[in-house]
Amino acid sequence: MPLLEIKNMVTSFYTEQGDVQAVRGVSLHVDQGEALGIVGESGSGKSQTMYSLIGLLADNGQVKEGQFTFDGEDITPSSFASKREYEDKMRKIRGNTMGMIFQDPMTFLNPVLKIGTQLVEPIMNHNNCTRAEATARALELMNHVGIPSPEKRIEQYPFEFSGGMRQRIVIAIALANSPKLVIADEPTTALDVTIQAQVLELIDELKTNSNSAIIMITHDLGVVAKLCDRIAIMYGGKIVEIGTDKEIFYEPKHPYTTGLLGCIANPEDDEEKVLHPIPGSPPDLLNPPKGCPFVDRCEKAMLVCRDYEPAVTTFSETHQCSCWLLDERAVNYHE
Amino acid sequence: MSEAPILSVKNLKTHFDVTKGIFSKKQIVKAVDDVSFDVMPNSTFGLVGESGCGKTTLGRTIVKLYNPVAGSITYKGQDIAHLKGQELKKYRKDVQMIFQDPYASLNPRMTVGEIIKEPMDIHNIYNNDQEREERVVELLRIVGLKPDHIRRYPAEFSGGQRQRIGIARALAVDPKFIVCDEPISALDVSIQAQVVNLLEQIQHDLGLSYLFIAHDLNMVKHISDTIGVMYLGHMVESGPANDIYHRPLHPYTAALLSAIPIPDPNTAKAKRRIVLEGEIPSPINPPAGCPFSTRCQKATNRCQTERPEPIQVGTRLVSCHLYEK
Repeated sequence: MPLLEIKNMVTSFYTEQGDVQAVRGVSLHVDQGEALGIVGESGSGKSQTMYSLIGLLADNGQVKEGQFTFDGEDITPSSFASKREYEDKMRKIRGNTMGMIFQDPMTFLNPVLKIGTQLVEPIMNHNNCTRAEATARALELMNHVGIPSPEKRIEQYPFEFSGGMRQRIVIAIALANSPKLVIADEPTTALDVTIQAQVLELIDELKTNSNSAIIMITHDLGVVAKLCDRIAIMYGGKIVEIGTDKEIFYEPKHPYTTGLLGCIANPEDDEEKVLHPIPGSPPDLLNPPKGCPFVDRCEKAMLVCRDYEPAVTTFSETHQCSCWLLDERAVNYHE
Repeated sequence: MSEAPILSVKNLKTHFDVTKGIFSKKQIVKAVDDVSFDVMPNSTFGLVGESGCGKTTLGRTIVKLYNPVAGSITYKGQDIAHLKGQELKKYRKDVQMIFQDPYASLNPRMTVGEIIKEPMDIHNIYNNDQEREERVVELLRIVGLKPDHIRRYPAEFSGGQRQRIGIARALAVDPKFIVCDEPISALDVSIQAQVVNLLEQIQHDLGLSYLFIAHDLNMVKHISDTIGVMYLGHMVESGPANDIYHRPLHPYTAALLSAIPIPDPNTAKAKRRIVLEGEIPSPINPPAGCPFSTRCQKATNRCQTERPEPIQVGTRLVSCHLYEK
């Protein structure tokens, strides 16, 4: 049984202009010890999928449909008797069996609390232990994520840390209770390249050493190529293609995936590569297209793409793609 | 290389006084310290480095937003430090800038037409409204926007479209040299390629030279002919883009390149990184010798005390004691 399973998640945000349909039927699973990358552009719904899962949506957001199972337990919001019960449950899971790493360490850490307090808190909340034991564990964690002289640093405030060091603290907090799943939302976007390399190396080590599963949300294909076993490509609130790293990079099926790969410069290529940008811009999720979300930017769009949602075509046990071009029925429709 | 460079920077230093209060010890941030490089006509010089290395300050010093404390900037054979009146105005027209954040660099209360017309007004390029309007429409077409966008406000556009407006504004006064300060880092991947292709197209059509500042090394390698690598206010290495990429000489360049995530799972997972220990030192209190000596794995005692001078190695200039004979 997979560690995490999401079935048909639908999430929307209420605004004065109407409902923004941020997540429109996302299904995925994550197995123990594997790293899944979710790649998409801003507004593709990749972050909101995870916020819906962990119950941290903004006040105007609501999970409309879906069923989520984590670690053998049902954590679908609608399956709880009251909102309060749901939140109690999630509070027990978050920071415990499910760790989170967010993009901007400065907004995640509380600026007026010492690093020590912020590290000890999740340990004491979820375990029956004394403050001294928790502090010992905190020092061990700081050591583990590569913070020099942790005894001194534990007494300091977040502003005394550099960006890379702060992100290490955030990672230490996420790992405090040896989680089964770590959700990392653009963990290195705010960092410099050499610091990003340090942090990615750290996450890679954790993956090998602790057997936790990782969900890595990012827009950087380089980061997922380095870290992830499987990759989901999101566009317009849907997963358009999902497969192993090699299937996505070497045998992409969806025109959007091919498009994304054509947009990035690979410095290893000696030949001057001409970049092939995807024309246009992402769809407005206030009024999403009726059919395929990519239809307005797709060079190969057919009539059927505009009106009907493409079904999932399966290529291998791991590789699935939603595109009419791959659907046998569409050929007939086209002709 | 017989051609004369369009822009030549020699031993440039831009420092900022950050002393707090009048009685405290004087504190100077040496944002750009002793930097030299040339930009050839119709080519792109890519400037890379991590945040705080001084690449943006260097770009802004070139467009005269900051005044250097020492060194010279020569544009088409003319030292720009003492330009005055008409000559300065001519320089300001020839050298334009594209900014990083397309949300902050456009006035939200001006229409697209007004934004693009403003530099034309300042430099009195067109005599009547008709000509100006025609030119604005033409510029919009060049950057891939529609003529009817002219009466809209920046808020109605996406990030990529706004960056196109910024490019149209820079082109409005027929510049020869454009400083692009991280023009794509705020944009989505699929939109970045659109803007990079547009910049290359314009360069080809209008014969422009670029100083392209970025921290995304993949894109810099793609767009640049020559690359300069900056660290803590110094240019540690400069030379042809392919040479630098395939055979980095300076240990910092090597580390920076090995840190780039390669968008290819087989290479990326096999690749060994040179993971640098520690962080960039404070530019208020830089190391005495080589700026990189505190993090360099090959540093010797000499590196800690003596600052390396740039030396020519093949096609490149590199500042490192390792390459001195």
